[in-house]
Parts: sequence; structure tokens; C-alpha cells
Amino acid sequence: MASILRMVAVLSLLCASSGFLLSYLKMTTAGRIEEQVLTYVQGPALAEVFPDAENVPLTERHAFTLPDGRSVTVFPARKDGKLYGVAMENSAPGFGGDISVITGFDASRDALIGIGITTMKETPGIGTQVSDPSFTTQFRGVSLPVALSSGGGSIDAISGATISSTGVVDAVARATEDYETLKEQILSRWQ
Amino acid sequence: MPGTLWKEFSKGLWKELPPFRLVLGLCPVLAVTKSASTGLGMGMAVIFVLALSNMIISLVRNMIPQKVRIACFIVISASLVVAVELLMQAYAYPLYQSLGIFVPLIVVNCIILGRAEAFAGKNPVLPSLADGLGMGLGYTLSLTFLGAVRELFGAGTLFGAPVMPSAFEPFAFMVEAPGAFVCLGLILASMNYLNAHMARRRGEEEPENPRSGCMACGACSRANSPAQQ
Repeated sequence: MASILRMVAVLSLLCASSGFLLSYLKMTTAGRIEEQVLTYVQGPALAEVFPDAENVPLTERHAFTLPDGRSVTVFPARKDGKLYGVAMENSAPGFGGDISVITGFDASRDALIGIGITTMKETPGIGTQVSDPSFTTQFRGVSLPVALSSGGGSIDAISGATISSTGVVDAVARATEDYETLKEQILSRWQ
Repeated sequence: MPGTLWKEFSKGLWKELPPFRLVLGLCPVLAVTKSASTGLGMGMAVIFVLALSNMIISLVRNMIPQKVRIACFIVISASLVVAVELLMQAYAYPLYQSLGIFVPLIVVNCIILGRAEAFAGKNPVLPSLADGLGMGLGYTLSLTFLGAVRELFGAGTLFGAPVMPSAFEPFAFMVEAPGAFVCLGLILASMNYLNAHMARRRGEEEPENPRSGCMACGACSRANSPAQQ
């Protein structure tokens, strides 16, 4: 009996102290990790969407609140001192999990500037082709709304990776919805 | 005392070199050695976890009840691995991206639990720390070496810097999974050959190959108790 109590006490003590230590470490590193993720995950995708931006869209980001309470982070891009596009990240289910896409909108004429894939868990070599330029460049300059060619739009799905292609288009469609809801707020903030 | 510490430290560098002599912890050895720098990064994470887990386990070894010792060892090493994961995300994010799932998998790396069970659970703090550092360093050197060989032939670079003449055509095979197996096999074979050669030169009998059973391996705690063969 005594030995069982001892086992319980030692294990509980060990687990409790490791729990406290790890939650402390998690709290102290949370800010830095968020910054690193933005730099190394969203950063390259933003550079792909706005190759000729004169500012750093990452540092000027601002979180807007949608009427349904969700918060959306918007990245503005400037050229010649004027706002020429805004980007936001959104995700939709693909084949192996959620595909997150940064979608850039041209604020002056309601069209897409481009997209960049940030995270995905698609099948290597098949679903991951959605991040190839041959697929993503199709989104440049497309007027809203965006749809696959099978759905009456102008985006050709990758053969053999229809579910992944649909996931990307769904993510862009969700971003479009958010963009249209927030458009007034976005323009009044940066223009 | 310094002599025994050195002995515990140095056994991990050749005699009981984890991936190539004990053939332990092979999953990351094969998976993350596409380049020398990822191998080095993985090795550093293992040194950190192994040295600290050996030290902590050795400190608390007399408080831990025998029956739940494995559970306690795993709680300690898992906490250290999560700490490494968080620190790597905060300070070396590109490395974290290239190592991916293999950072959390250090928990189930049999070297960590193996050293805890075979050494740190029975020895004082300083020798345990030396053992952990030595094993970790041996692991790091092995991973960096394998990574360097694969990177050199598979991409023509070393730590990302081009070293091969421009006429060199990289064989992509080496950075793919089969290349890892082939390299590992060649390294194991040449180490066995070297050991046999050195034994001959010392005038000793050649070690039997393949080495006979569990008893030949000094890393296992069973080697000291001949009753369990």
C-alpha cells in the first residue's frame, strides 16, 4: 500500500512540475514564436503575392473584426506611396488537412493580385503541386468571384489533384467573402 | 576520477558510437541527413536532451520507485523535448521547419531511454552527464558526417556552400531515402572492416562477424548479468 502511494506521489509530483515548467516556457516564448512564424511562413507567401511592394506588408498588419466576431489579419501593400493591394490569410480543407492561402486583392478594381500558399499537408508530389507557380500564377488579375473552370470560372485544376485544387479555390473564396465584408473598413484605414 | 569521467565521455565517440556501433536511433539518422546542417541541428537538439535528461534522472534516481521508473524517465525526457521544440521555434525557425516531425520524435529515440535505463539510473551525476554529452556528441558527429557525405554527392555542396567543380553532376539518388540506406550500409561496413583490421594489428583475434548476440554489446545493462542471456 505504502509503495503504491509513493508511486502515485512521485509520478504526480514529476508531472506537475514538468507541466508548470513547460507552461511557463510556452508563455515566455509565445510572442517570439508568433513573430518567427510570420517571418518564415507568411513572409515568403506575401513576397510572392506582392513582389513589387515598397513597404513591408508584414510589419503594417492590422487585425480587423468581422461582424460574426472572427478576427482577420490584413496586410497592406503600397506602391508609389499609395495602397495598391491588401492580403489576408484564409484556409479551407484540402486532401490531407487544411490548406492556408494568402490572397492578395487589388483594392481599386475588385480583382485578385495573386495568391501564395503558406501551409498545407497535401500528398508530396501530387497535392503539393498547388504551390507550383504554374498553378498559382493562374490567379493573377482574375476578377472576382474566383472559381475552377469546371465550375464556370477560369482556374484550371491540376489533374490528379482536384481536391487540393478545390481546397485552394475554396480558401480564396472565403478570403473574398471576408474582403468584401471588410472592404470599407480597410480602405478607410489605409487610404 | 577525471580518468573515469573521460572514459564515460569517450566511449560514445567510437566504441559505443550510437548510430554506427550500437545501431540505435536510426530513424532520424536516415530521415534528416539530407544536408550536413540539418544533421548538425538534429544532433545539437539530441545533445541538449540527452545530457540534461541523464543529469536529472541521475539526480532523482534514488527517489524514483523501481516499478514506475520507465514512466518517470519518459516524463522527464518528454518535457525536455517539448522545451527544445519551443526554443527551436522561437530562435531557429528555419531549422525547426527542416527537421519537422523529427524534433518531437526525439522522445521515442531509443538512445535517450536507453542511456537513462542503462546508465543514468544507476550512476552518480557527473559520470551520467559525461555519458550523455559523449553519446550526444557521437550522435551529432555521425549525423553531420552522414549528412555531409549525402549533401556532397547529392547536391555538390557542403553546409550550403558549393564545393564541387561546376562540371559535377549531382546524383539526386543520394539525397533521396535509398541514398541514406546505401550510405549507412557503407559506413557500417567500413567501420566493421576498420575494427577487424585494428584488432589484427594488435594481434588479437578478429571479432566475430556478425557479432554474436546481445552480450557483445557493451551498452546494454544485461551485459553485466550473465544469468539472462
